[in-house]
This record gives sequence, structure tokens and C-alpha cells, in this order.
Amino acid sequence: MESQDVPHWIALLQPIADDEWIIAHRGSEWLGLAPDLEEDLAFSSINQDKMGHAQYYYALLEELGEKTPEDMVYGRSKEQWRHAVVLETAHGDWARLVALRYFYEVFDALRLERLSTASWQPLQDGVRKIRREEAYHLQHFTTWFEMLATGTEESRHRLREAIADLWPLLGGLFLWGPSEHFLTAIGLDSLRGSELQRSWETHVAEKMRSMDLPWPGALSSPVLDGRLGEHSPDMHDLLQVMTEVRRSEPAAHW
Amino acid sequence: MDEAQKTAEFMARIENGEKIEANDWMPEEYRNLLIKQIHMHGVSEIMGAYPEKEWVPKAPSIRRKLALNAKVQDEIGHGQMLLRLAEDLSRPYGRGREALMEDLLNGHVKFHNVFHMPAPTWADAGVIGFLVDGGAIITQAALLESSYAPYARMLKRIVAEESFHMQYGESVVLALAEGTTRQREMLQGAIDRWWEPMMFFFGPRQMGQSAEKMMHYRIRTKTNEELRQKFINRYVPRLQALGMRVPDPLVKKDPVTGEWGYTEPDWVRDTEMVRNNSGPQSQARLHLRRQAHSEQRWVREAVMHATALATV
Amino acid sequence: MALNAAEYRVYEVFVQRDASQFHVNVGSLRAVNSEMALQMARETFFRREEPCEVWVVPQDCIVASPRDSAYLPVHTMDKQYRLPAGYDNAPRWKRFKAKAMTIEEVAEEMATHKQGGA
Ligand SMILES: [Fe+2]
Ligand SMILES: [Fe+2]
Repeated sequence: MESQDVPHWIALLQPIADDEWIIAHRGSEWLGLAPDLEEDLAFSSINQDKMGHAQYYYALLEELGEKTPEDMVYGRSKEQWRHAVVLETAHGDWARLVALRYFYEVFDALRLERLSTASWQPLQDGVRKIRREEAYHLQHFTTWFEMLATGTEESRHRLREAIADLWPLLGGLFLWGPSEHFLTAIGLDSLRGSELQRSWETHVAEKMRSMDLPWPGALSSPVLDGRLGEHSPDMHDLLQVMTEVRRSEPAAHW
Repeated sequence: MDEAQKTAEFMARIENGEKIEANDWMPEEYRNLLIKQIHMHGVSEIMGAYPEKEWVPKAPSIRRKLALNAKVQDEIGHGQMLLRLAEDLSRPYGRGREALMEDLLNGHVKFHNVFHMPAPTWADAGVIGFLVDGGAIITQAALLESSYAPYARMLKRIVAEESFHMQYGESVVLALAEGTTRQREMLQGAIDRWWEPMMFFFGPRQMGQSAEKMMHYRIRTKTNEELRQKFINRYVPRLQALGMRVPDPLVKKDPVTGEWGYTEPDWVRDTEMVRNNSGPQSQARLHLRRQAHSEQRWVREAVMHATALATV
Repeated sequence: MALNAAEYRVYEVFVQRDASQFHVNVGSLRAVNSEMALQMARETFFRREEPCEVWVVPQDCIVASPRDSAYLPVHTMDKQYRLPAGYDNAPRWKRFKAKAMTIEEVAEEMATHKQGGA
């Protein structure tokens, strides 16, 4: 890798790593709270997979000169996180979880597909393994999305409410920070936000049409752009909880 | 063949060391004892997830977070497997998952005393993995010879997973014991909180009627006191090796009999607590289970009506 | 249908650990349909292994023989003639100064993974 490309790869990987970590952390709060025992097991594995993915990306970032994975997770202030704000929001009901996960999994699958052509070999190798696990995640939440959409009056109602609640925040997934030029520099133009968003909209619109769910309209740019380090009070709370034990004795091993 | 003859033949099989299967004929009493034991075991696994679950979001390293996630997930998995067995046994009574879960929420089935207790520090989460899982491993390993084959088979699987829990719990405790003064104090505090509940965990020396009957049917084969002694014998030397204090002055090995002494837990108070779900955390944890089960009945109803992917 | 229409169906889970083995039953689970049963089986029973195939079968589709029944073979009479242990060729080969063969040895010789040569 050319040294001038290092910042580009960092700009690429940090948002992806943070997305995976934060969605998994929020997901792990559902332990013991899924609507049935079998789902508890399935969902927990999905969250563990995602934490593992984040860990992999953080290790690559460390190779590029960033902090250690531990310090990335436990040693950053709110403003230093680059995930999309929608992922940090405190959880609502199961319909909101299903909708968020379905929307994210479609997005992540598209992102990974394009990432699999990356010229940096270690990343390409990791992405190959990660995609095998992600296929299950997408399958699982597509099934859930379809079942809630075709279930009862109540589940349809809750799902529509959840979609309406999430929609204004979803645009944040497709942003890349101050500029997307770095994508061109490392030969990954296909990851441009507008490209990703177009594919995502095609896929999701098709699914919603087949489930007879109304399309809520074009995605808007979010009020807070997590890719620029802008985050909600929910992220403040999340960090307080996540670092609580660690802060109590910062120099210690645990 | 009349009932008495069938029962006599059944007992002959048990005494012969034969294993009973789910669809075999069995005396009503045997079935009910199994349901009682496995139902209680299953819901205890599920309720046992909650004290540790609280610490998943706060786990102090990536590895600990992943491991604790996996461990709590396993406990729910144990609950799932055991409830499936209890459900199969309850079929003649027309009772399934919903009914067995409702029993927990309505207080008709009890869960282990230890899961009524608070886990106020990270060290408590570690000591649960160390002492509570340690105790559970002893009781479960003792059940591997159970006369009810589906239970024995499932326990084999469960015990295999517990060996990971054991390593995990030891690893957390060791890290604290090797750590700073504050970490060691935190560890001692947790040991002080969990020791007495662990003495209660194995049940009274004088076993109750149904425990005696379970011995009779070889659903279980070891007494409460045998198991408690094995626990003390295993854990006291290890706690001492770590420089930790066992918070009971009576814990000493009798040089003649080899028996360990211990202070009797407050049997009356703790039995009441388990019976009435009146421990410090009983209601809060039942509330979490209610949130998962009752408050999400709409989800299960919805998917049963879902036209997408409906089973043919 | 299941015994209680207000509950998910029970599926028995069978796993084939690798292509050389048969499917074996590992337990059961509740799921709303067969698609979910397959998805759930994966994380209910195989969190630490990589099976080669998984079957889920509605429990009420399984027909089991009674344990003590005419469906189950019992070999009370002498059937030694059809068991390898029923033959005493080894000492007899010895008298001819030749070694008795075992099927294991033949299989081992045929195994492709074995290094050839002296
Ligand atoms: Fe367990
Ligand atoms: Fe355990």
C-alpha cells in the first residue's frame, strides 16, 4: 500500500467498523429479551458475529497506525465515533428492531459486495469471511420483516410506525464524511453514497411493494451526521455504560 | 396389565439401571417429579441469564464482552433445551411452552435462590461464572446418570458447554485476583455476597420428600450434602490460594471425617424468598422475563398468522 | 397441527456432521415455520460446530415404534453364522503359517490417504 493511501483506507474502514460495533452493542442489550427463546439464541449469535467483524476492521485500522482495537472501543470520546446515528438510538419494540436490522443488513450486504473488490489483500480476505456470516444475518431479518409485514393488524401497524420513525435517520448510512474523494483514490468508486443508496432503494422498494407497505419517500440527509462525529444524547448514554467498568480502574487489566 | 404390575415392572427396569425414554410408559408420580425437576432447572437457566446479562453492555474488554455474550446465550440455550424436555413430558396434560413460561411468571415454578440475588459489581458477574456455574456443574454432572434418558443426554451437552463457562469464570476471577488492590477488594466483596447463597443452593442436609422420591426413581443419585461437600472441597482451597477469605469461620475440614464444616444458611428466610419471589432482585428479573414473554406475545401471534413463509 | 394451536410447532433437529456420517437427532426446538426452524436450528445446536447438513422435521410427523414391540428385532437365537466373530479362521491360518485377514486391514490398505511404497 502506498503511504499516501493510508488516510484513505482509514476513512473507509472507520465508519464501517464503528457501524458494526455500535449496532452489535445495541443488539446485545436484547439478550434475554427476544420474543422467544430460540430467537434469543439466533439474535445473540448475530450480534457476536458483528462484534467480531468490528474487531477485525479495528485490527486493520491498527495496522494502518490507528489506536489498538481496545482503545478504539473504550478510549474515544463521542465526537470521535463515525457510525451512522440511526444505529446508536436506544431500542424500541421488536418491530423497530426488525425494521432497523433489515434496512441495515441490506445496506451492509451492498457495501460488502463492493468492498470485496478492494485492492488491499488483508481487507479482501476478511470481507470474504465476513460475507459468509452476513448472508445469514440478511436472510434472518428478511424473514422477520416479511413475517411482521404479513402478520396481524398489530404487527403491520407497529412495523409501519417503526419505518416512519427510522426513515428520517436512514440517509446517514450512505454518507462518508467530509468528502468521498478518497474512494476514487483507492479504486472503490462503486461505494459512493449515491451509488449505494440507489441500489438500496431499489432493493428495499421492491420488498416493500411486495409486502404492500407504502414507500415513505426519498431519504433525506440527517440532522446529525455521525460520519462527521455528530451524535445524539443516546450515544452519550451508550458510552457511559460501555466504559463504566473500564473507567473505574483505567490502568487495570480485566 | 394393571397399574400396579406396570409400576413394578417399571421399578425393576430402574433398579436394573435401564434408561427411560419420553414415550415409554411411566408412573404418574415419576412423570410429575421429572416435570418438577426439569421445569425448575430450565427456568433457573433462563433466570440465571439476567444477573450476568446486565454486565454485557459494560464488559471491560472486547474479549470479555464477546465471551459474556456467548455465556449468557448458552444459559438461555440450556433453558430452551430443558423446557423442550419439560414440554414433551407435559404433553399428556396439554401444556406447552406458553403454559410453562406462564408458570414462571405467576410464581408456580421456582427458580434457584442464587438468581434472586443482586450482582452489583463486575466482580459479581465473574464470581457468578466461578462459583454459581461451579456449583451448577457439580449438580448437573451428578445428574448425568439420571434414569430419564432424554435428560441425561441433554445434560451431557449442557455440561460440555459449562466447561467453557468454567474457564471463563476462572479467567475473570484470576484477572481480578492478579489485579490492583481495588480489583481484589471488589473480588472479595463479591465472594462475601455469594458464599452463603451457594451454601443454600445445594439444599438442606435433610432432603425434602420429593428429593427423596427422585433418589428412589434414580432421577438423581446424589444427596444434597454430598454435592455441597464436593463444592466446598473444590472451591475453598482455590479461594485460599488466591489469597481470598472464605466468609465463614466454620469452614474447616474435619481431620478425622474429612467433612467440611460450614455455617447453615438461613433456610427459613431463603426458602421463603424462593417461594414468594421476594428476594432483592426477584421481581426486577421477573419483570424482564415478562417484558420478553408477555409483552411480546403480539410478535408470536403475528408470525403465526403471517402469510409469508407459512408452513404447508 | 400442534397440540396447542396458539403455539409454535415443535421440530426435531437432525445433523449430519460430515458426508461420511448419517444424520443424528440432537434435540428439538419450537419455530413458527420450517424456514425459521432451519434458521433457529443453526444457533440452537451448532454454535460451536460446522455441520454439513441439517434437517428439521415436525415432531408430529415422526412415527416411533413402541420400545418393546414386534417392530424391533431381537436376536435371541444363535446367529453366530452371520457374525464375523462366529468364525475361528485365525488359528487355522496359523497352522498353514499364514496370517488371517481382517476387513479393517483391507480397508486400511485401500485408504487413499495412506502413503504408498515400502
Ligand atoms: Fe447453564
Ligand atoms: Fe453455565
